[in-house]
Amino acid sequence: MTEFTELAIRHVTKTYVVDDMPLPVLQDVSLSVLPGEFVSIVGASGCGKSTLLRLIVGLDDVYRGEILLGGTQVSGPGADRGIVFQDHRLFPWLTLTENVALALDAFPLPTEEKAQRVRDAIALVGLSGFERARPAQLSGGMAQRAAIARALVRRPAILLLDEPLGALDSLNRTRFQDALLDIWEAQRTTVIMVTHDVEEAVYLSTRIVVMEPRPGRIRSVIPVELAARDRAAPDFVALKQRVLADLRH
Amino acid sequence: MSGATLSEALRAARGGAVPWSRGLVLPFALALVWVWSVHVGWLSGPLAIQPERILLAPFDDAAGREIWRAIAASVLRYAGGAGIGILLGLALGAAMGLSSTVERASGGSFHALRQITLFAWIPLLTAWFGNGEASKIVYIALSAFFPVALNTATGLRNVPTSYREVSRVLSLSRRQEIRRVLLPAALPAITIGIEIALISAWIGTVGAEYAIGNGRGIGTFVSEGREQFRMDIVIIGVIALAATGYLATRVCRRLSSLALMRASGLT
Amino acid sequence: MNVRSVAVDRVVDRFPAVRRIWTARAVGHRLLPLAIPLIVLIAWQCAASLRLLPVQILPPPLLVATTAIDLIRGGEIVDGLRVSLWRIGIGFAIGAGSGLVFGALLGLSRTVEAYCGLTFRLLAQIPSLGWLPILLLIFGLDETLKFVLIAKASFVPTVIATSESVKQIPTPFREVARVLQLPARSYLRRLVLPATIPGIFGGLRTALSHAWIALIVVEMLAATEGVGYTMVWGRTLFQIDIVIVGMAVIGLIGLAMDTGLARIEQRLQHWEARP
Repeated sequence: MTEFTELAIRHVTKTYVVDDMPLPVLQDVSLSVLPGEFVSIVGASGCGKSTLLRLIVGLDDVYRGEILLGGTQVSGPGADRGIVFQDHRLFPWLTLTENVALALDAFPLPTEEKAQRVRDAIALVGLSGFERARPAQLSGGMAQRAAIARALVRRPAILLLDEPLGALDSLNRTRFQDALLDIWEAQRTTVIMVTHDVEEAVYLSTRIVVMEPRPGRIRSVIPVELAARDRAAPDFVALKQRVLADLRH
Repeated sequence: MSGATLSEALRAARGGAVPWSRGLVLPFALALVWVWSVHVGWLSGPLAIQPERILLAPFDDAAGREIWRAIAASVLRYAGGAGIGILLGLALGAAMGLSSTVERASGGSFHALRQITLFAWIPLLTAWFGNGEASKIVYIALSAFFPVALNTATGLRNVPTSYREVSRVLSLSRRQEIRRVLLPAALPAITIGIEIALISAWIGTVGAEYAIGNGRGIGTFVSEGREQFRMDIVIIGVIALAATGYLATRVCRRLSSLALMRASGLT
Repeated sequence: MNVRSVAVDRVVDRFPAVRRIWTARAVGHRLLPLAIPLIVLIAWQCAASLRLLPVQILPPPLLVATTAIDLIRGGEIVDGLRVSLWRIGIGFAIGAGSGLVFGALLGLSRTVEAYCGLTFRLLAQIPSLGWLPILLLIFGLDETLKFVLIAKASFVPTVIATSESVKQIPTPFREVARVLQLPARSYLRRLVLPATIPGIFGGLRTALSHAWIALIVVEMLAATEGVGYTMVWGRTLFQIDIVIVGMAVIGLIGLAMDTGLARIEQRLQHWEARP
C-alpha cells in the first residue's frame, strides 16, 4: 500500500521538435498537490494538460525540470500513480474481472488476495454483478467506471484522470460526476483531473488550476471553497464565472 | 512481390540510427561466409561457385551475356500479354460491374475458372496453341485478366449507395452516371486490380517461358542454366527476374498515382 | 401492356402459389447463371461430335466425365491427392510455423527488424518460381525440394502478416500495458496474442493459397507423382481429358481450402481489437 505523499512538479518544461522547429508544449510548470486533494486542470486545447498527465504517470520521460512523488523523482510508470484515459481502453477480449485483474499481474500477491482486491474495486465503482461482462456489453459510463476500477485496484497514491467524462453524453455525465465523488470520498485518493468542462471542475474539485496555451503555462490556481455542491447556488456560479474569466483572459 | 514494403525497408535501413549499416550486416556476413566456404572447400556441389562470378557473369561470360537480350524479350512478351489481358479484363469487369444480368450470367463461371491455379492452365494451353509464342502470350494475358476483371467488377459493384442516390436525385442518364459517378468511384479498386495484374503477369511471363521454353526470355535463360548445372546463370537470372519485377511495380505504381491524381482533378 | 403478360397475370391471380415459379422473367433470372456453362457445354459437344478438332485437342465432354470417374475409381486421383496434401501439409506447417515466430520477433523487436528486415524483404521479392531452379540444383528431385519450396511460399506471407499485426497493436492498448507494468508473459498472453489473431489468420489464409500454388508449380515441373504431375503426364500422352480433370480437381481443392479458412476467419471477427 503506497503512502499518501505530496506530488511536487517543479519547473517542468517540455519541447517537441517538429520539422526542425521547436514547439514548446509546457513551459516552467510548477505545482504542488497535497494528499487527499481533488485538483482539476482546465484550459483550452493545446495548453499541454494531457501532456502533463503523461509526464506524471511516466509514459514520457523527456522533459526538463522535476516531478517528485514523496521526494523521489518519478521515472517510468509505477504502482503509485494510476491513470484513466478518455477512451476506457479496456481490452475487448477480456471480461470485466480479467481487465481489472490485469492491473495486478505485476504484483507478487497471493491469488486469493488479488481476487479479493478485484472484487472490492468492482464493488467500489458500482459494477458488482457485471464481473463476467465484456467491454462491448457495457455502456460508456460503465466502461469508464471499469477503467477507474482497474486504476484503483493498484491502490495508487495519485489517480490521474484525462478528460474521463469526455466521451459521455451530458445526462450520464452528471450521474457519473456523483459516482466519481463517492469513489473519491470512499478512497481518499489524491486525484488530478484534466477537463475542459468548467462546471464539472467547480463541482468536483478542491482546487482548480487554470492553464493557458502556446506554450502551456499555469495562469492561476483557484481554491474551491463552497458551502455546498449546488450548481444553482450563488457562490458556485460566482466561482464558475471567475474560472471562465481567467480562461478567457 | 511487394514493392511498397521493400522501399520502406530500404528507407528504414537508410534512416536508422547508424545509416545503412544495420540492414546490410546480415547480407554481407552471409556473403563472406559463402566466399570463405567455397575457398576452404567446405561447400561443394552446385553452390560452390565464387560469388564474384555471379557479379561478372552478365558481362564476361558468353552464356551470361545472353541475359540482356533475354530481359528484353521477356519485357516485350510481358507488355503484349499483359496489355491484352488488362484490356479484356477491364471489358468483362466493367460489364459484370455495371449490368446485373451480365454478372448473373457470367459471375459463376468466372469465379469457378478463377479457382484454378493459373499455372495449371499451361498443359491445356500448349495442347491448344502449341509450344510457342501463342501459348505464352495467352497465359500472360490470362494472368492479367483475372485480377483486373475481378477488381473492376467488385469496384463498380461496391460504389456506395449514397453516390447512386445522388445520381438519381440529379436525374443523371445512365451514361452520365457511369462516366461521372461510377467509374471515378471505382477507380481506386480498378487501379489495385491493374497493379496486381502487372505482378501476376510478370510472374506468368517468366513462368510460361520456364515451362514452355522455345525462344528467348528470362525463364528460358534460367531453365537452360539449370539444365547445364550453372548456378551462377540461374542466380543472375533470378535476380534479373526479381529486379525487373520490382522496377515494373514501382514504375506502374508511380504512373497509376499520377493517373489517379489527374482523374480526380477532372471530376 | 402486352397480351402475354395479361394472360399470365390472370393465371397467376387464380393460383397465387404459381406466381413465384411461373413468371417467365423469374424463370429466366433463376436459370441465368447456368446459361453460359450450358452454351459452352453444347458448343463443346457439337464441336467434338463434328470432329472439328482432333480428340487430342478437344475431347468430348462425356469422355472427360468418364475419365474423371475412372481416375477416381482407379485411385490415381486419390493417390495423387494424398501425396499432394501430404506435401502441402508438411511444407505449410514448417513454413507458417517458423513464419509466426520470425514475424513476431520482427514486429516486437526493433533490433531484429533493423538487422533482418532488409534481408527478409529482399528475399521475399523473389517469387516461388524463382526459387525453384535454385533449389532444384541443390536438392534435385527429392521430396525435400517440395517441402522447402512450399515452406518458403508459406513463410513469406505469414511473416509479413504477423509482423504487421504485431506492429499495429493499437497504441492505446500498449500504453495501458506500460502503465500497468505488465510482465512479459502477460504482455504476450493478454495483449499481443488476442490483438493479432485476426491479422495473423488473414496472413495464414494468404500463405495457404501461396503454398497451394507453389505445390502445383513444383509438381508440374519437378515431380513424379501428385496432382500436378498427373496433369502434365496427361498432357504428354496427349490425353486432354486427364488434363481437364486435373484442372477441375485443382480448382475444387483450392476452393475448399479457402472457403474452410474463410469460415474460421469469420468466427474470429469478434476478437477484433477496438480501443
